[in-house]
Amino acid sequence: MILSLVKADFLKIKRKGMWLLCLIGPFGVVALQMVNYGVRKDYLFEQMDDRWLYYILNINTFTPLAIVLGIVILTSFMASIEDETNAWKQLVALPVSKRAVYLSKFTVVSCIVFLSSVLLFLFMFGYGLTLGMGEDIPYLRLMEYSFLPFFAALPVLGLQLWVATVSKNQAIPVTLGVVGVILAYSASLLPDWVIWKWPSLSNEWGHSYINALLGIGFGVFVYLLGMIDFKRRDVK
Amino acid sequence: MVSVINSEWYKLRKSKVIFLLFVAPLIGLFIGLSGSFNAIGAMNEWYEKLVVMNSTYAILFLPLISGVLASVICRYEHQEGGWKQLLALPVTRGKVFLSKYLLLILLMLAMQLMYLVSIYLVGMIEGITDPFPMDIVWKSIFGGWVATLPLIALQLWVSIAFKSFAAPFAINVIFTLPTILVINSERFGPYYPWGQPFLMMNIGGSTEDVFFVPWDQILTVVGGSFLLFFIGGYLYFLKKAI
Repeated sequence: MILSLVKADFLKIKRKGMWLLCLIGPFGVVALQMVNYGVRKDYLFEQMDDRWLYYILNINTFTPLAIVLGIVILTSFMASIEDETNAWKQLVALPVSKRAVYLSKFTVVSCIVFLSSVLLFLFMFGYGLTLGMGEDIPYLRLMEYSFLPFFAALPVLGLQLWVATVSKNQAIPVTLGVVGVILAYSASLLPDWVIWKWPSLSNEWGHSYINALLGIGFGVFVYLLGMIDFKRRDVK
Repeated sequence: MVSVINSEWYKLRKSKVIFLLFVAPLIGLFIGLSGSFNAIGAMNEWYEKLVVMNSTYAILFLPLISGVLASVICRYEHQEGGWKQLLALPVTRGKVFLSKYLLLILLMLAMQLMYLVSIYLVGMIEGITDPFPMDIVWKSIFGGWVATLPLIALQLWVSIAFKSFAAPFAINVIFTLPTILVINSERFGPYYPWGQPFLMMNIGGSTEDVFFVPWDQILTVVGGSFLLFFIGGYLYFLKKAI
């Protein structure tokens, strides 16, 4: 049942530009550094001895913002394809459980964002090679800074999907997303418990995997909350 | 014309969307109170607050929220064939577009004023005793508003074109995020329309002019992009198949 729902959801987003967005996100994040390094490569190389690390950190100033905003766009879009044609009623009238409907939406959005992370890894690696920053390529760091932000952003995904599916007016989840991105942008000022800080991978302990683990754990929790609430609500 | 604007206002008045405007002062309070900054060593403590608050507010929040407001103002018409009903009335399409735009920029002005209040509140809470630099604050509040005028025109255009909130927002995000990098560049920064809110609100600029950026930049970049986006959106709406 869940598989066919996911397939149906993928069909619904066909030719709507969502896959393009999945490509533009990671490409844009790397392209900004292409411009940055293109304009002042020598200056940036002098900033830190470990040129690869500095390059990765530069990219990581934009990754959290792109992920948070990408999630906002995707979740709001997943809800509005049903809202626009009043399709929630029809969807729920099918012999599927509401929980599966919610799970399917969650799966589709996570798949797209995860694919974005894979692309981010490829672009980041590819452009890094052309810069000539030394022979020993830090594969582990590259993977850390392309995949861990995705896991750390799962609570934001859960929250945005929840708000987007239960609000009739999509202005509410989008505004929440704008507030979220401001929080993600000011991550260094925030305490560690704020979920919008997690995709930046910084915390008091200095281990980025903590953010990812917290993200998975709390993400599942927010997902369950959203699913239970979605199931109990009357269909609009 | 007045009646068209009135009807736009009636549609918004009772919707909870007005609460959107209150997000701006909340964000202002959050940025203003969340960190302690005393590295600049300016002669007036307000300046430090203004530098930090205005940058986050103008780089990301202002361009993004203006797009959300533009989508909100088209939402009624996108539902259940609202465009057909509205345009079946004895109004011209040009007037509808113009009144939506006018209402939008008034809402943005109201938001800027509420942000002004939040600056003052932050200072009161932190106990800043220096005199409030009213002339500078006005420049940046009003300048930020002028700089968003072209962005609102573009967002109104794409909000009319797309039914969902996500598509106009995506376009907005794609243009807004690079601002963080572009404003650092002396060469490209002044020509990027999405960077103008920051440049106009940043209190570091020259103080002789009316705004913090020179007039020729305002006229060419802000004025030019405004004409492009406004006329583009206007013509698009006149020709759009409803």
